[in-house]
Amino acid sequence: MSSTNDANPDRGGRGGRGGAGGGRGGKEGGGKRFFFRRRKVCKFCADKIDYVDYKDVRLLAPFMPERGKILPRRMFGTCAEHQRKLNLAIKRARNIALLPFMSE
Amino acid sequence: MSERIYEILFIADPNLGEPEVDAMAASVQGFVEKAGGQVQKVEKWGKKRLAYTVRKQREGSYVLVVATGPADMVKEVERRLHVTDGVIKFITVRVDEELRKAERRKAARAAHEAERKSTRAARPAAAEETEGVEQ
Repeated sequence: MSSTNDANPDRGGRGGRGGAGGGRGGKEGGGKRFFFRRRKVCKFCADKIDYVDYKDVRLLAPFMPERGKILPRRMFGTCAEHQRKLNLAIKRARNIALLPFMSE
Repeated sequence: MSERIYEILFIADPNLGEPEVDAMAASVQGFVEKAGGQVQKVEKWGKKRLAYTVRKQREGSYVLVVATGPADMVKEVERRLHVTDGVIKFITVRVDEELRKAERRKAARAAHEAERKSTRAARPAAAEETEGVEQ
């Protein structure tokens, strides 16, 4: 547990940069180093969710944009472990029509 | 080996009435019991909108059956669900391993918290220092 805590700030910083860049999109901030810091803590870690339930649509839905794609974890700052669980949960939820594969 | 827990979630045709869905849930329970399993819980979610069309339906009645039983049970129950009219989609997920892992993590976290609290009480200055670094 302590090792993940130690690794967090470093990983969070990288995630923040990638997330901000993706969020801005058109605006190319070349020289700007310090953007608005994105949430760097994994939501599942912060809320202490150990089991990502595929049946809980309200938990999964915020991690899926309108198009129905699963976004890379730099967008949400989820840690690797929880992104993996989230991934599986979303795929299960899609299978049973709780979440869309692709929104029309 | 402890017992396997499966979640069988199926979607019934939305045109069926409440009693028919109840009957279907009961028959699925029958499948499970016949195949050597035990039903732990049956949950009816009612009619929900599907994320995409399944068998030309935009809605469906979700029913969740949580059961324990042998691995062969899943095969048999799924085969029967395939041939049951009115079931438009189903999924079976084995959950015991993941739940056990989650349980273990929860216990580990509780132990860690307790330990941290005790060290913080013993050396409050050191605890403040680490907080400063985090910010």
